[in-house]
Amino acid sequence: MARSRLTSRRLNSLLLAVCFGLSASAALAQDVVKFGAPLPLTGPLAPEAIKQQQGYDLWAEQANKAGGISVGGKKYRVEIVYADYQSNTPRAVQTTEQMITQNNVNFLFGPFGSGATKAGSSVSEKYKVPTIASTASSAQVYDQGYKYLFGTFTPNDTLTTPLTQIVKAKAPDVKKVAILARNDLFPLAIAQEMEKSAKANGLEVVYFEKYAINTLDHSATLSQIKSLAPQWIFVTGYINDLLLVRKQMADQQIKAGVLSMVAGPAYQEFIDAAGASGENITSAAWWHPAAQYSGKDIFGTTANYVKLFREKYKSDPDYAQASASVSGALFQMAIERAGSLDRDKVRDELAKMNEMTFWGPVKFGPTGQIDSLEPPVLQLQGGKAVVLSPALIKQGEFRLGVN
Amino acid sequence: MTRSNLILLALVVGIAALPMVGGSYALRLGTIACMYGILALSWNVVGGLAGYPSFATAAFFGFGAYTAGVLLGKGVPLVVSVPAAGVASFVLACLLGAALLRLRGHYFAIASLSLIEVFRELVNNATDLTGGGMGLNIPLTSTAGVMADATFFFYVMWGLLVGTALMVVVVAGSKLGFGLACIRQNETAANMIGLNTTLYKSVAFGLSAGFVGAAGGVYAAWVHYIDPSDVFDILYSVKPIVMALIGGLGSPLGVLIGAFVYLGLEEVVWRNYIQIHSGVLGILIVVLLLFLPHGLMSLRSQLLAWRPKRV
Amino acid sequence: MLAAQVLINALVLGCLYACIATGFSLVWGVLNVINLIHGSFIVLGAYLAWGLYQSLQISPWYALGIAAPAFFALGYVIQRLILNRVITAPVLVTLTLTFGLDLILNNAMIYYFKADYRKLTLTPPMGSVSLFDVVVPIDRLIATASALALTGVLYLILRRLRVGRAIIAVRLDRDAARLMGVDVNSIYAIAFGLGAALAGCAGVLMALIFPISPLTSTAYLGKAFVVCVLGGLGSVSGALAGGILLALIEGIGSALIGPAHATTLSFALLIVFLIVRPQGLLGRKGFE
Repeated sequence: MARSRLTSRRLNSLLLAVCFGLSASAALAQDVVKFGAPLPLTGPLAPEAIKQQQGYDLWAEQANKAGGISVGGKKYRVEIVYADYQSNTPRAVQTTEQMITQNNVNFLFGPFGSGATKAGSSVSEKYKVPTIASTASSAQVYDQGYKYLFGTFTPNDTLTTPLTQIVKAKAPDVKKVAILARNDLFPLAIAQEMEKSAKANGLEVVYFEKYAINTLDHSATLSQIKSLAPQWIFVTGYINDLLLVRKQMADQQIKAGVLSMVAGPAYQEFIDAAGASGENITSAAWWHPAAQYSGKDIFGTTANYVKLFREKYKSDPDYAQASASVSGALFQMAIERAGSLDRDKVRDELAKMNEMTFWGPVKFGPTGQIDSLEPPVLQLQGGKAVVLSPALIKQGEFRLGVN
Repeated sequence: MTRSNLILLALVVGIAALPMVGGSYALRLGTIACMYGILALSWNVVGGLAGYPSFATAAFFGFGAYTAGVLLGKGVPLVVSVPAAGVASFVLACLLGAALLRLRGHYFAIASLSLIEVFRELVNNATDLTGGGMGLNIPLTSTAGVMADATFFFYVMWGLLVGTALMVVVVAGSKLGFGLACIRQNETAANMIGLNTTLYKSVAFGLSAGFVGAAGGVYAAWVHYIDPSDVFDILYSVKPIVMALIGGLGSPLGVLIGAFVYLGLEEVVWRNYIQIHSGVLGILIVVLLLFLPHGLMSLRSQLLAWRPKRV
Repeated sequence: MLAAQVLINALVLGCLYACIATGFSLVWGVLNVINLIHGSFIVLGAYLAWGLYQSLQISPWYALGIAAPAFFALGYVIQRLILNRVITAPVLVTLTLTFGLDLILNNAMIYYFKADYRKLTLTPPMGSVSLFDVVVPIDRLIATASALALTGVLYLILRRLRVGRAIIAVRLDRDAARLMGVDVNSIYAIAFGLGAALAGCAGVLMALIFPISPLTSTAYLGKAFVVCVLGGLGSVSGALAGGILLALIEGIGSALIGPAHATTLSFALLIVFLIVRPQGLLGRKGFE
């Protein structure tokens, strides 16, 4: 009898301890705001995922260094939940759902690229979780009438149109354009925009072909382009494709007035690996560290963002990392303004947002896609990317001729 | 019907209870489990029963996904699109099978692997129809809630699994199944005693592709977005083989159990080893092949064989 | 002129393809194993060349001398410890096993080197030679010459050396070879080692030309498949013929119907070849 009473007392205290522990951890959990970031950490998109992760981590670190996000006078620590979707879009959808239902994240970042973002947004929309897509540019992602999806990239034509206008103004001899595109979501979409921009500006598109994703060799294609003698060659692809094309162009002694590669010169790795052969290559990107914006977000000026990034990673940020960071910073502003973690309130603050940031002016259009940003046109000059436009952050003049 | 086939059907029917206990994430896993079951059971018809090392699963999965995806995009309802994907895959596989199944061993393996590449690139380049590398968006079929949607697709996939299991059981008990077993053991001899081996093999190949194609179709409707590198992923060809190897080649029950065990392992590995999960999967495959070449089912028969000795 | 340029491009590229495929072909022919790690071996070889040049300034030509024995040893060990246990198992098992091994090696490379692309850039760059407007890059020419030399060495090993003749004997009839006193298991291991060494050396040469990343391994493997089937299994000259044929098809195909269709064309041709002429261009019937 006595023994059983003892046991029951022990049980009671145990239960009490468990309850106490639970409530303690619940209190702790309340002080954290969780962001879900499904990323393609393995598979073909892995390099992109690492950039995203760097951008998010930098923001989380800065936010937590300042004590966290303040919500109605209380500080909440930022926690980012990562998961790998293996560069596989359906996995991205699955991961998104898992984060909402299993990890109980408060808010979401989109997976990488337009395709996965569009696929994943159907889940986050169902659960009404505000999502900022930091790498989705296609207008088709945002035309589904979704209310909880926001994007930090302007549509693709905002990259090709200013580039075409600069070329047309500064190099009136350019009449014929050859376009070579990787048969993949973003590279193909941007090439199609380029074709439209070229035609709209009275240029003749003499060559437009796609190459398969695993292409090892471009010599036959380039020989053909050479025989057509275009003054402007426009190539899209990922860094490896662009490096290979650039090398094989040099090998075959192909010269052109203008060589554009999207998005090569926006990436430091491309600049490093291309070396002297990168000179005068033009490109366009949504952001560049040379930009000089003075923002109201946690990072403040672009220069400050670049400095913090260099301190942490010993390298320069490019638009992919910056977009990830600004997505976090935008969430922070929206949450602080809403004074609540309520998803609908934060969503409304995001929709109302009209603010300058280190990324540039941020205002989301009716579809949720940013419509306030003017993406810079870049050219590699003397081993550095130089901004040619917009006028606000211009650093140099367009140069003709690529050997 | 053998006892193991009865257990197989009971197991499949049992899965139907999942929506009563699980949330929407469990339903998603359940849907994938059914899908893996379909792929593995289908593969077993040509790989296990006939003994042809087919790597074509991904080719027909992607083909079915795109067939249904394009149809759904044109406004054709799900009840038509998915069967259409299945039938199209069946017919295509029968025709291709008549040519490809003349090859044996490595040659057949390579040819079936190449099918994936050919299909993927064809879809990739038919940009007008399929969206090419930009992928294909499939309109949402229902505007019902999260759970209703998840439950719906779970039952569709489950229904397909039931169909596949019935097909497998029927085939195993039929003349076709007997013929395939003959082909596996000695094809030349089977030919000599007057078995139309080409017909048998083609039908087997077609059956295994038909259900895979239909599963691809359901999958496309379920995830709303497909692109060529996703649905023509070689892993869709390799996974069913690994599942079959886990469970034990040839036995449908073993193969289905293998599929579920594999999914469980995949979940655990995927959650816990973010950076190295494909390596862990590789290690799993190697260890399995070296130390358990006849699958989990062989453990049971070992136990059975061991018991009488003690008596 | 365009035609001449496309032809020259294809010849040069074809020799590189042959170099990619020889080791794969040897292993398939002798061990009857489709070795799916082959692509990752090539990438590992490329990393070796890159690492040696980057850190120790060792030129890729010398790296060949390091890669060959290192990869031979790696291949030998893998065959002895792992593959040999299932060498008599059906195709399905050996194929899936090498797939598993490939997952491991590839994941290890992604983990260690990360997935971003490296480029081995020789300083100063070697430039190109041109003759009547037909341009050939020098680094490719040298890589092609080395590839030819490598395949030549393999040919000599197989024809002249005792161990080479034993390899051929095992390939033709392993039971007869065993009866003649050939230690089949050690021949298997040597052949697999040779295959790995060839892959490693091919990787060193490819590092000069292509960007390096674990993700390119499937592209290499795909080329090896096609070359092997087109040219015929297990023969050195067959790999050369298959490589050049593949490069010609890709080159002409991409000029006529666009680069996106070139890959489709090559794989479609592979299937046709398998059905119509499984022994390949130069293979003889009954050698399979």
